[in-house]
Amino acid sequence: MEENMNMTAERSLEIITQQIAQSRRAVSKVTGQSLFISGICTMCMAVVIAIINFVLINNAIVGVGHLLWLVLPLIIWLFMRKYNKEHAHTPVSLVGSMVAKTWSTFAWFVIGFFVIALIWGFVAARVLPIESYVASRIEVTPVIVLLMGMAITITGHILKQRWLVIFGTAAGLICFIWEHFGMGQTIVLMLSGEPHLSLSAHAATTMLPCLTIFVFALVGLMLPGLMLKRQK
Amino acid sequence: MFPTLDPLLHSELRLAVMSLLVSTEEAEFPYIKEQTEATAGNLSVQIDKLSAAGYIEVEKTFKGKKPCTICRITPVGLKAFEEYIEALKSYLNVSK
Repeated sequence: MEENMNMTAERSLEIITQQIAQSRRAVSKVTGQSLFISGICTMCMAVVIAIINFVLINNAIVGVGHLLWLVLPLIIWLFMRKYNKEHAHTPVSLVGSMVAKTWSTFAWFVIGFFVIALIWGFVAARVLPIESYVASRIEVTPVIVLLMGMAITITGHILKQRWLVIFGTAAGLICFIWEHFGMGQTIVLMLSGEPHLSLSAHAATTMLPCLTIFVFALVGLMLPGLMLKRQK
Repeated sequence: MFPTLDPLLHSELRLAVMSLLVSTEEAEFPYIKEQTEATAGNLSVQIDKLSAAGYIEVEKTFKGKKPCTICRITPVGLKAFEEYIEALKSYLNVSK
């Protein structure tokens, strides 16, 4: 591009439109890559945790694998750092930073809530009688899926993707009800035809939250990320 | 009577740089060079002109051991760009 001072108004407009569109495409690709990496990491972590929980429950250790969720932000950050080093030239945009801030807010709330629930569970198990402990236990997954649904909905609004807004709202609320009222557990119980959960049925129910988060990460992070990456 | 177009913005390369910076918070020199397909020397001269007019701010820093030039649009630059667009509209309305 040379320094041409005798441009027509049409040529000026063409340059402006072309540069803004070009820049938006580049930024969308980076945002898409971030969502894609986060989605893949979350999905892999859900699979790993499900396997760990399934293996450990046979040794009468319940849900310890969920502690690994605390490592997820670190893993995502490491992958993002590696990617950013390789693609240093892409600028920061308002859209990109809004999406990034939405998900970092989500991550901080989830980590905070997870730690609070963990400490409360640890203290309550030692201080309260078993009935009170069960009644006062903080269920983490329903709140996480609700927060994740909110983050997906906000991302959909920012990226102007209506399907993402609808999915985030619907999935967030439906999965909250599903997890909060233990519907997965009820269905497993009904299918097994026994009054109490057998060991294998119990193992299946400990994997249900991982399945929920896997689906959320697939539709809320990986697919929109892929869409943005492939945008022409 | 047509409004005069800002001579500093009425140049292909400078207008391209400003258009790029309008849609981003900041951009590094290699990114601007890549997007505008300008030569490093020419781009550097035009960036200096925009910077001298206060339309953009240029930060020279380091990324690891490599030097890194970051450009950002200033409020003055944003206002000038908006006025340029407004002036451009009147020209385009006539040519329609």
